[in-house]
Amino acid sequence: MINKYTYILLLTSVLLSSFTSGQNQNSTSDFELLTTKTQFEAGSHIVLKFTDSDAEKPLLYCSNSFGSTVVVPSMENNKLHYKIPASIASKKGMVNWKLLNNEASISGQLKIVSKQEVATMETYIGPPSIEAGGTDYTMLVVIPTDSLDNPLAENTLVNAKHQFLSNQKNEDIFTKNLIAFKNIYSQLESGRMLVSSESLNTNSKEFTINVTAAIPTDFTISAKRPHDYADGNQITTFTTSIIKDKLENVVSDGTFVNFFITNKKGNILRTSGTTISGVATARMIHPDYEEDWSVKAYVDGMAESNVLSLTYKQVIDDFEVRFSQNNRDVTVGPLQSFMNQMIPDGLQVKLTISKDNLQLETYSKTSYNGYVQFILKSDIFINDSYKISIKTAGLEKTFENTKLW
Amino acid sequence: MVGLNKNILRTILIASYIMIITLIVALVSTLFSYLNTGADRSQMLHTEIKKVEQYLPKVVWAELNNEGRPMDAENLKAIEDDYLDAWYVKHVAYKTNNTEGVKDYFTDNARKNIFDFIELNSTKGITVESTTLEHHPTLEFFSEDGQLAVLTDNNVVEYKRVFKDEKLILKATELSTYKVILLLEDGFWRIRHLVKEKSDDLVSESRSGYYDSLNIKGINYYPQETPWDMFGDQFSIDTIVNDFKIIKDAGLNSIRIFVQYDDFGKANVPQEKVEKLEQTLNIAEEHNLKVVVTLFDFYGDYSVLNWTLDQRHAETIVSHLKDHNALLAWDIKNEPNLDFDSRGKELVVSWLDNMIDLIRSVDQDHPVTIGWSNTQSAAILKDKVDFVSFHYYEDLDQLDASIKNLKKEIPNKPLVMGEFGLSSYKGIWKPFGSSEDDQANYHRKAQEIIAANKLHFMSWTLYDFNKIPKEVVGRLPWRKNTQKQFGFIDKNGAKKASFKYITNH
Repeated sequence: MINKYTYILLLTSVLLSSFTSGQNQNSTSDFELLTTKTQFEAGSHIVLKFTDSDAEKPLLYCSNSFGSTVVVPSMENNKLHYKIPASIASKKGMVNWKLLNNEASISGQLKIVSKQEVATMETYIGPPSIEAGGTDYTMLVVIPTDSLDNPLAENTLVNAKHQFLSNQKNEDIFTKNLIAFKNIYSQLESGRMLVSSESLNTNSKEFTINVTAAIPTDFTISAKRPHDYADGNQITTFTTSIIKDKLENVVSDGTFVNFFITNKKGNILRTSGTTISGVATARMIHPDYEEDWSVKAYVDGMAESNVLSLTYKQVIDDFEVRFSQNNRDVTVGPLQSFMNQMIPDGLQVKLTISKDNLQLETYSKTSYNGYVQFILKSDIFINDSYKISIKTAGLEKTFENTKLW
Repeated sequence: MVGLNKNILRTILIASYIMIITLIVALVSTLFSYLNTGADRSQMLHTEIKKVEQYLPKVVWAELNNEGRPMDAENLKAIEDDYLDAWYVKHVAYKTNNTEGVKDYFTDNARKNIFDFIELNSTKGITVESTTLEHHPTLEFFSEDGQLAVLTDNNVVEYKRVFKDEKLILKATELSTYKVILLLEDGFWRIRHLVKEKSDDLVSESRSGYYDSLNIKGINYYPQETPWDMFGDQFSIDTIVNDFKIIKDAGLNSIRIFVQYDDFGKANVPQEKVEKLEQTLNIAEEHNLKVVVTLFDFYGDYSVLNWTLDQRHAETIVSHLKDHNALLAWDIKNEPNLDFDSRGKELVVSWLDNMIDLIRSVDQDHPVTIGWSNTQSAAILKDKVDFVSFHYYEDLDQLDASIKNLKKEIPNKPLVMGEFGLSSYKGIWKPFGSSEDDQANYHRKAQEIIAANKLHFMSWTLYDFNKIPKEVVGRLPWRKNTQKQFGFIDKNGAKKASFKYITNH
């Protein structure tokens, strides 16, 4: 019987000593720490109790991850009670304390651990859009935190979940260095991937990752036009084939396509369009004189199309010029198109007037109802003979020694 | 007569007209320039980058071996800068109990913790002056999108002074390890989580090593033309060569020189200054002289938040010269006890204590001392220094007793009388001053006491000076003039009577 009690006593003392081993007790101090617990859950009510040898009431310094403060004791049952403030008691990490008496002071440490519950799944995911093909990935970073905003203990299980098309996956990851992370790779198809995570029965919200097509591959273009006449009025529309990446995923809407048109003289016209469902369209007005175009489209730096050749036929074979009002009224027209209809308004006509091979003035007008009228004012052109030339639709007519009076 | 009057009147009228016009133009232009100030287009958006170095603790990154995205130099620098700034604003916040700047470096949730502490501390009248002297961060993780980083900051040396109702109640040096999560928000790397993993009191080592080999027969040296400005524009190798020859020929073996804190660029020591210092040591080596380098001359700040700047200053100089053959010892600061009244003894001593640790961490081989201005202060930090230095300008009759007392108090460390001397100034400002003969007598007697006590010595000083900067003894003419004539050699280059007793043989 006596033996049993001795054993219990022995065991208790061993247990107690193991609890207090975390503290650097100083035997020369008048104060003695009575609180044996050194590990607390965040948010607990922590009171450090000391025996009090005399009337002295020293302050207690304590410091945690974020800051330091000093606690004033209260006396209860002849013991000094130091209530650790909430700002320290609620944050995970080591707390070191020191009794500020004048003699060799006594100090120690408390360990505050996070609650084993998840209040928030603090989630960071990025990049938000990745490339299809199985090489690109996004990274899910989860910091499970308790209700007091403490990251949970190391090796807390986090279940990382994601869904893509018919695929749905759950994977176990564990927190390390306060976080848990997982790389989520794309598959061969493009689309939207949904990601979420779970820890200790708390689920995060849903996150969306866009899996976009990889870089486009070469494509073809076609042109559509109401007729093949160079009337300077109708519009030719260029259309690409459906632009896809190497895995047959349609490139994302808004992919910019540039169309370069090279004409007979080697000049370059440019037009552009963005894709919708993989198809980009762009427009260009017809030339107003005979022309051969070669068109090639590019997704800059990534893909290009075939070369498309287009021929535009001349519509105006000839035009009349009439001089009246002392030759000062020059009327060009009628300007007639391919069915002899009056050319639509807006055809450009240029009149150049020169004297002794010296170009004096150039007037440019657009046609209206098939005619263009130039009036050469007597204030500007004194009575004399001039050379007048008129250009339109790639044709030119010159009248030497036209006398104005 | 009338015509003349008219002309005078005309001249006056025209002159006054011109004056009024000038005045108006001047007024209008002042007004115009006033209205234009502050409206400079280039400054409207405050896009200019102002970087003031205010916090430079020693940061040693562990080799990069992080999980996640590989780290690059630019991002690491950005993280380091903002992380240190976060510590700095935290120190400022706890020193002033003011939340200014905290929100830039801590996320919404993290800053709450700091605000809680500030509220708690300000109601209790607690302020904490703190700084961190060393960081040893390891990058643990960098997220793929470059927006989140995790580091372990190992063995952060934190120095704290805790005040309650403006009374110092605790000073502590702690060695802590933190885990930190930083998020990139609005272009700032902000602390999101901060967890202290480990924390211990850092006990600084005392020093028991005895320097048997010490044999100092020396003199404090400034060139005659540039006292207290030895490494300025007038730095002249020829002068120094000449002077060192005189010193060597006089039978001395060492000199004590001074490095002014401001002149040496504070935290950013210019290369040219260190080079001048090195040249001086080179010349000393050629003449077989050893050099005690006194740091932090004309320094008087000591405030905890600037310690990191002071330490970078010392680190640069010490690391540059620590392998020099002519180097004898580091004198941390000249007469720091004179700052006890204005800065607080306890603060100054803590500063010295930490500075000794820093210098030792850079240079383990050379002894360290502090040039106390009197024998009463000499025992302060006696366990930290390698030899004890004191200056003596009091009555020589007391010297012997003072040394015996000191030897009793500090039995195990060599004593060096780092400055002593007598001015031979006698004039309008000090009619009862000492003559050159008195000075010679003084040195003769001093050398007797030195020999009797086997004391190491460095006298003040080689030359009489023509001008004394006001920072040395102030502006009062009786002080300035006295200070001018402590030399063994007078203004004209002639050896004074005292030169005979410059050393004992």
